[in-house]
Amino acid sequence: MAKYGGWAGKVLRVDLSTGRITTEDTIEKYKDYIGGTGIGYKVLWDEVPTGTKPFDTANRIVFGVGPLAGTGAPCNGRTAVTTLWPTCWPKPLVASGHMGGHFAAELKYAGFDAIIIEGKADRPVWLQVVDGTAKINDAGHIWGQGIRRATIEICGQMGPDASVAAIGQAGENLVPMSVVINSYSHSAGGIGGVMGSKNLKAIGVRGTGCVRIAGDKGEWENLVKLHLSLLGAVNQHVVPNSPQPWAEYYSASRWVGSRGRKWGSADPNIDTGVCDPHNLNRIAYRSNNAVFFLGDKAWQYTVRGNGCSGCPIRCHTILKVPSVSSKYGIPEVGQNTCVGLLFGRSFFKTFPDGPQGQTSIEACMVGMGLADDLGIWENYGQMQRDFQQLYYSGVMKDKLGDSEYKGYSWDKYERGDPGFLFELLPKIAYKEGELATALGLGTGHLLERWGIPEQDWQQDPNIAYWKMGHPKHHSAEDAGQCGVIINTQYNRDAQCHSHSNFTRNGLPIKVQKRLASEIWGSPDAIDAVADYSPMNPYKAKMAKWSILRKELHDSLSLCNWMGPWIASPLKERNYSGDDSIESLLYSLATGDKKSREELDEVAERIFTLHRALTIRDMETKDMRTQHDTIPDWVFTDPTGKKCFTPGTNRMDEEDMKLAMEMYYELMGWDKKSGSPTNAAYHKLGLGDVADALKIRGLIP
Amino acid sequence: MNQEEEIRLTITKIIRETSEKELLINFDELLADLEGQGFLNQEDADSISHFQSILGRVVDENEDINELSPRNRPPHYYSSRSLSETYAGILVRKAENSLVAEVVRENSATYPRPVPLSIFREPPFDLTQEAILDCLAGMGKPGNYQDIAQTTTSIGTVFLYSNLHLDPTYASTLAEWIDVGQANNP
Repeated sequence: MAKYGGWAGKVLRVDLSTGRITTEDTIEKYKDYIGGTGIGYKVLWDEVPTGTKPFDTANRIVFGVGPLAGTGAPCNGRTAVTTLWPTCWPKPLVASGHMGGHFAAELKYAGFDAIIIEGKADRPVWLQVVDGTAKINDAGHIWGQGIRRATIEICGQMGPDASVAAIGQAGENLVPMSVVINSYSHSAGGIGGVMGSKNLKAIGVRGTGCVRIAGDKGEWENLVKLHLSLLGAVNQHVVPNSPQPWAEYYSASRWVGSRGRKWGSADPNIDTGVCDPHNLNRIAYRSNNAVFFLGDKAWQYTVRGNGCSGCPIRCHTILKVPSVSSKYGIPEVGQNTCVGLLFGRSFFKTFPDGPQGQTSIEACMVGMGLADDLGIWENYGQMQRDFQQLYYSGVMKDKLGDSEYKGYSWDKYERGDPGFLFELLPKIAYKEGELATALGLGTGHLLERWGIPEQDWQQDPNIAYWKMGHPKHHSAEDAGQCGVIINTQYNRDAQCHSHSNFTRNGLPIKVQKRLASEIWGSPDAIDAVADYSPMNPYKAKMAKWSILRKELHDSLSLCNWMGPWIASPLKERNYSGDDSIESLLYSLATGDKKSREELDEVAERIFTLHRALTIRDMETKDMRTQHDTIPDWVFTDPTGKKCFTPGTNRMDEEDMKLAMEMYYELMGWDKKSGSPTNAAYHKLGLGDVADALKIRGLIP
Repeated sequence: MNQEEEIRLTITKIIRETSEKELLINFDELLADLEGQGFLNQEDADSISHFQSILGRVVDENEDINELSPRNRPPHYYSSRSLSETYAGILVRKAENSLVAEVVRENSATYPRPVPLSIFREPPFDLTQEAILDCLAGMGKPGNYQDIAQTTTSIGTVFLYSNLHLDPTYASTLAEWIDVGQANNP
C-alpha cells in the first residue's frame, strides 16, 4: 500500500447482524474502481443478489470516498452513498446519493476509503469510527430524536471535530423519501430509510491522520493553485451576473457577488466586492445560492457562505431570519443550498407578498428547519411538484378520506402560510395518514398506490417527472439531446452537472462553441439555450464525456456540482479551463500515473458496471425500451412551437432515436437493445461481469 | 530622461491611476492635469499639438492603454490592467442617451440574452428609476431605438431585448429561463 498516496488503504466493513468489524485492502480489491461510487457498484455487484429489496438485511450501504478526499484538491468533499434505491420504481435498482460536508475528509483522516454496512442490528445503534478503529454503540438515547440532536449528542461524546452522518425520524420509520445528513445540512437523499432498516442511526467519524501525496509536493501545490485559478462561482459559472471592472463579460449566472452586495446579517456587514478572479482568497464571495434561488431579499439575511472541506466555493448559504423564531419557534439560523433551500417554499403555489417576498423566505427557513431535522428527502423537488399537482387537480381530495382531508388547513396552504408545513412534514416522517405516507413513498410508488398511470405524470413539463419514480435533472433545457441522453441513463434523477455547468457558465455562445470544439471536436456539440439543432456525433461525444466525468468525480470525491473545469474566468486563458485536471490530480496524489484518456476509461468501467447491475437486476437486456425511456413532455411545446426553432426545448422523436443510437455506438453498446456488448465489457476489464450476464442471457 | 519621455511616463501613470479608480479620463482632463504639473501650456497651440503626438505614442506603445472615441465628445482613455473593454465601454456611454439600447443590443447579439431592466439601476450604470423610465419612454418613439422591445416574465420581471437579434418568442423564452427556469431547475 505504501506505493500509493491518495487512498487511505483500508475499507471498513461492519456487519450489524453479528457485530463483526473487519477491514479490507483498498488497493487489492477496489483500485480498478477508484473509490466512491466505484466501490459502491463493485460491492453491490459482488454481494447483493438480484431480487434483494432496499430494506432487506441482504442489502448493503456503501459510504465511499475517493483518493482526492481530504487532500488539498479543490471541491474534494463528496461522499457517495450507494445502495439499492428505495424510491426506484417499479423495482429497486442500484443508485447513489452524494453528500458534501466534512464526512469524506474525516473518514480519510480516520484511515478509511469506504465503510460497507451490511446486516441489521437487533437494536438501534450508531457506529463510531476513530483513527483506524470502529465500534458499534447503543443508540437508544438518540433513537426517535432529530438529526440535530443526534449530531450534538454524538459530537458531545466524540468531540466537536467529529463528522456525524445521521438519520432523522423519517429514516427510522423506513420512509423511502428520507435522507442521511452530515454537518447539519449536507444530505444524501434516499438513504435514510435504508439506514433505518438496519437500525443504524448514525455514523460518527473522527480522524487525526492525513492523506499522503505520492508526487512532488511543489508540483502538487502548483497543481492545486492551477485548479483554484480555474474556479468560477457555484456550478462553475465563470462570468459574473453584473458588469465588473475586470470582466469582459457579464451574463445570467450564479456569480452574484459584486461591490455593494452585502452579507447583511454578518456583523459587521461584508461587502462581496468586485471578486477579481485572480484573487484566490476571495473565491467564497462570488456565490450566494440563497440570493440566486430566493431573490435579492436574501442578501439582508445572509450571514456567510458555508460548504465542504477543501472547497472555497461555499454553495451553502447561512441565513439568519429572526422573524421565524418568534413566528414559528424554529431556529433563526439555517443553511442549505439549491433544492434544500427551496424545500419549504416549493410546496406553495403563491405567497401573500409574492414569490420572492418575506413569506417565501420564511417558508424556506421552516422547510429547512423541519426537513433537515426530521430527515425528509425532496427528490429534487418532485415531492413538492407532486403535492401541488395532486392538490390543485383535486386528486388528493378524492383519494383521502373526508376526515383526513379536512384535518389539513387548506386555507393556510392556499394563502402560502409557512405554518402549514408543521401539519405536513412531521406526518411524512412518522407515516401518519394516507397523504403523508404516500408522499413518503416517492413518486412511482405513490402513483401506483393511488392508481394514477405513470404516463399521466409524463405528459406535463411542469411536473418535470422523467421515469422510474424520479424527475428530470438537467435534461433538454440544458444541452438539448445531450441532456436527454444523460437523463435516460440512471435509476434515479441523473444528478449530472458536467453538461449543464458548461452550458450555463455565462460565456457568450461564440466562446462556448470555441471551447466545445476543443473538447468535443466541433462547435456543433452545443447550441445556444432553447435554440437547438438536430443531433450530430459531437453531441453524443459530449453526452458520453459528461457521464464519464460525473462517474469520475463521484469516485474521486470531487464535486460534480462544481465541476468539470473545462471553462475558466480567465481571459488570458481565452476562458479555457483544463480538461485534464482530474487526471493530473489523481496521478500526483496517488502516484498511479494516468492520462486523461486512461482515467476516463476507468470511469467508463465504473459506469458500465452500473449498467450491468441495472441489467442484471431488471432481468432484461432490452434497456433501450425498458430503461432508457423519454417522457412524452420532452417532445411537446406549450405553445406548439416546432422542434429546432428558437424559443423551444422541444425535441424531435426521430432525432432522439438517432441520438440514442449515436450514443450507444460511441459507448460500444448494441444499438438495438442499448446493452453493452460482450466486447465492450471485456475491453474495460469486466470479463467476469460479462460472463455472469451471459449465463443469464443478458448479453446482446 | 528627456522631457518628452517624462511626459509619456506621466500620461501613462495618470491613465493607469485613473483606471484603478474605475474611471476613464478624457483628453481635456488629461491636458489640464499635465498643465497643472507644468508640462504644457494650453494657450500654446504647438504645445497642444506636441501633447497630442505624445499621447498617440503612449497609446501605440503601451498595450494596456486604450482610446475610446465617443461621438461629439473628446476621446477617453483607460488602462486594461484595471478596466475591461466592456466596462470602459459602459463608462464612456454613461453620458449618452443610447446607453441602454446599445447594452441591450450587445447582450442580445453576444450571449444571446435579454437583459433585466433592474441591471441598469446597479453599478456601473447607476441610473435612477426616473432615468430608466425616461429611457423606456424614448424607446417607444420613432427614432433609433425601434428594435428595443420588452418582455415580462411570469414573476413580473421586465427584460429588454433587441429584435434585430432575438425574435419575440425566443426573447420571452430566454427571459423566463433566466428569471424563473434556472432557479426551478437547480
